[in-house]
Amino acid sequence: MMPYDAVKSILVLIALLASFGVFGWRCYLALQGLRRGQSTPAFGGWGERIKGLIVYVAAQLRLFRFKAPGIAHFFVFWGFLTLSLTILQAILEGLLAYTNPHFVLPLIGNFGPLALLQDLFILCVALAILYDLYLRLIVNPERYKGSHKSQGLMVLMFIFTIMLTLAVTNGIRINLNDDLLQRYRPVSTLIGGLFAGLNPATQTIIEETAYWIHLGVVLLFLTELPEGKHFHIVTSIPAILLRNLEPRGRLPAAPEFEGQVGVKQVEQFRWRQMLDFYTCTECGRCQDMCPAFASGEPLSPKLLMMSLRDHLKDYSSASLPTRSLIGDAVAPSTLWACTTCYACDQECPLFIERIPLIVDMRRYLVNEGEVDALLQKTLANLGRYGNSFGQSERMRAKWTQPIQPVIKDARKEAVEYLWFVGDYASYHVMFSDITRKTAQVFQKADLDFGILYDAERNAGNDIRRVGEEGLFESLAEKNSAAMDKCKYNTIITTDPHTYNTLKNEYPANGNHHAVLHYTELLDQLIASGKLQFNKKLGYKVTYHDPCYLGRYNGIYDAPRRVIRALGCELIEMPRHGDRAFCCGAGGGKIWMEEQPEVKERPAESRVREAAGMSGISTLVTTCPKDLVMFRDAVKTAGLEGKIVVKDLIELVSEALELCKETVREQM
Amino acid sequence: MNIVALFKLVPDLVEELEIDGNGTALNMDFLRLIINEFDDHAIEQAILLKERGGAQVSILGPDIEGVEDVLYTAASKGADRLIKLTGDFQGKANNHAMARAVTSALKELQPDLILTGVQANTDLDGSLGPLLAEYLDMPYVGYVSGVKVADGKVITRKEYPGGLVAEMEIKLPAVLGIQAAEQPPRYIAVAKVRQAMKTATIEVRTLAESDLSGGSTIRRMFKPEAGTRAEMIEGSAEEVTTRLLDIFKEIGVL
Ligand code: SF4
Ligand code: SF4
Repeated sequence: MMPYDAVKSILVLIALLASFGVFGWRCYLALQGLRRGQSTPAFGGWGERIKGLIVYVAAQLRLFRFKAPGIAHFFVFWGFLTLSLTILQAILEGLLAYTNPHFVLPLIGNFGPLALLQDLFILCVALAILYDLYLRLIVNPERYKGSHKSQGLMVLMFIFTIMLTLAVTNGIRINLNDDLLQRYRPVSTLIGGLFAGLNPATQTIIEETAYWIHLGVVLLFLTELPEGKHFHIVTSIPAILLRNLEPRGRLPAAPEFEGQVGVKQVEQFRWRQMLDFYTCTECGRCQDMCPAFASGEPLSPKLLMMSLRDHLKDYSSASLPTRSLIGDAVAPSTLWACTTCYACDQECPLFIERIPLIVDMRRYLVNEGEVDALLQKTLANLGRYGNSFGQSERMRAKWTQPIQPVIKDARKEAVEYLWFVGDYASYHVMFSDITRKTAQVFQKADLDFGILYDAERNAGNDIRRVGEEGLFESLAEKNSAAMDKCKYNTIITTDPHTYNTLKNEYPANGNHHAVLHYTELLDQLIASGKLQFNKKLGYKVTYHDPCYLGRYNGIYDAPRRVIRALGCELIEMPRHGDRAFCCGAGGGKIWMEEQPEVKERPAESRVREAAGMSGISTLVTTCPKDLVMFRDAVKTAGLEGKIVVKDLIELVSEALELCKETVREQM
Repeated sequence: MNIVALFKLVPDLVEELEIDGNGTALNMDFLRLIINEFDDHAIEQAILLKERGGAQVSILGPDIEGVEDVLYTAASKGADRLIKLTGDFQGKANNHAMARAVTSALKELQPDLILTGVQANTDLDGSLGPLLAEYLDMPYVGYVSGVKVADGKVITRKEYPGGLVAEMEIKLPAVLGIQAAEQPPRYIAVAKVRQAMKTATIEVRTLAESDLSGGSTIRRMFKPEAGTRAEMIEGSAEEVTTRLLDIFKEIGVL
């Protein structure tokens, strides 16, 4: 009869070949879809990319946005890395059991401090897994809803078993004086202590059994990897390495396929986008932040990624796809629910970006004319009159009429600053007074500025995000042509949406002027002493970060500095900075019909948040759409008298004690 | 089946209207033109009929500013022939003149069905449909909001006030005045219109000298003048009714 050690070597070899074979085959199947994807523009900026690996893979920085789960994951990740050496040891000692019975890894196998580290990680990983089990089974947060629960639990059990069996194997070896590094393994020693009373033969049997379970579960886990969310262990590294380094506010151009604009079939996505489908870990952090999901709309950024993954798998395995991408896999109502607020993509630890996916599918729908009646009307207005209000372009500068001295026409004379006023600030009845105040503040600061008068058109940020690429292009061409004829140095905008597209997307049209949001300009004027306030306002206020100013363009501090310079005390809402909760207007949502599913409008949730803070009288915004949404929400939520919504410029104007004729109280 | 949809461009009411120096017409300098809304529905209905049962759809419109946009948009919807009509459409042209002038262009197309909007805000001398029907010697039904084609005939759906609906069968060829297409006109993305601009061709037909006879003569055009101010009647329902009755008696309707 063959000795046990020889049998062991052969069995380990067979198990290895089988499991790696299955793993390889499953990876191949899973990633088959990727081969059907479209090409991806070349990846540059390798320094930045490698840095990303260190910051986001090694240091796991984004994961800590959810503290406890982040710490647990950190230990599991690093435990996995450190203990992969013990796995290697287990495999090799099995393979060499017959020829080299006391095999240890050369060099590192005899290194005490490493052994200590590994031993401590066994404990840390086990504790992290217990925490994760508690999270999944007892806390069970909303964000896990819809994720594959049994798969998640199975993998947690796998890891726990791997840790336990490793500790048992090590512990018994210590008991049997079989371990040169035993004084470096306190945790294993403790576990071994449980078996110390048994006779050595029994202990050896237990040790051998633990060894087999250990190796078996490791290899089983390997074969399971490509099957679900844990595939991210493999895909996250290329995903983070090859993440999008373009400015967030710059959407990729619309893909076109023989007269079709946008994406209709899953294979029309780029392979890099498809990689994200497989990388999603179903952690639901994105969903937790999503205003559309919170308001009850049929969109979960997590479930969207999961359905895209499932659809791509079906698509690449079936010879004839039977389910459509838009309609079966993803409902149009899901696509239309997104406000493009970027909260999801900001949160995702793996840098998964779904806004470009959503917009590409919207582009297809728009090009096929599948838009709701209100959106259709708005797009027609934008096409015909260049504004979403359906008013004549001749009325665009009507708000300027009472202003003295007359605002310069940048088309006729050179100016330092070209003020791109924007639709809402120009046409909306609620805002024209505020726009006049902005002009007065600029005049007070002796700013040399002018506007485009009726040559200005909607800048197209939200038109682009709605998916009407052709209309965006045509408006961008018109605006660029008008601006090209002017002499100016810097563009100022009132609207963060306008700001975003002028800054990030117009350079494609050759406009390379600096762009400032008016809050950045105010901040500069205050710093340079050109704007000084006679009056300290002394209000206690809170500030809402507009998505396209904060998350998209990283402008968090300038408006806050202005608020403080006004002598106001700024108290932050729970959701602030890059976690600010979208007002629900972006991405063209403000032009669409409201869905019946909506439980609580995002804007109402937001004003409740502000009103719920003690002592706060004013919610300050720096986006015309926010102001309109929030003032409306204050009424519908019945919060009148509890909170006032003001644009920052109103406070600035008040602190400057500017003339009151055009200043009417807006509440 | 040959379907022809005929459209007019009318003043866009987004702009303020001004009366010209003579006081008999609109000042065209400041006007912007837009497709007559009902004509837009007529085009949509023509396309719907084509999609449903197959047809050759020709779109005809006067060659004035904005005509190409309408034609290319119609092409992106699926129209087969685009024709612009050159002639005198400014100033004095009326529907009588227009109907007479387009007759020969229409005959040449040998239409089975002519669709046009049931009315337009520039119809000072009656709507275009019945006039066309007269000059072409075809039957006419107006205020149509649904069309079905059945060998050599169409069945039209026409809504009457008070919720009555009539279905009428008409022999072809015929002229229909469309009140509403069965579906609202669809959205055409700008990229599609741009594509049509590259691929579609617009034919040109020159119309005969306009003959204005039969139309109305405008003596004076003016903006509504403020009358005596309205009287707001306040009080309880009873007081209001009593006051109303008094007023009715005063002006002699009771
Ligand atoms: S962009 Fe905002 S609304 Fe859209 S899916 Fe992400 S979080 Fe939700
Ligand atoms: S997309 Fe990112 S944040 Fe959302 S569930 Fe997947 S991994 Fe988590």
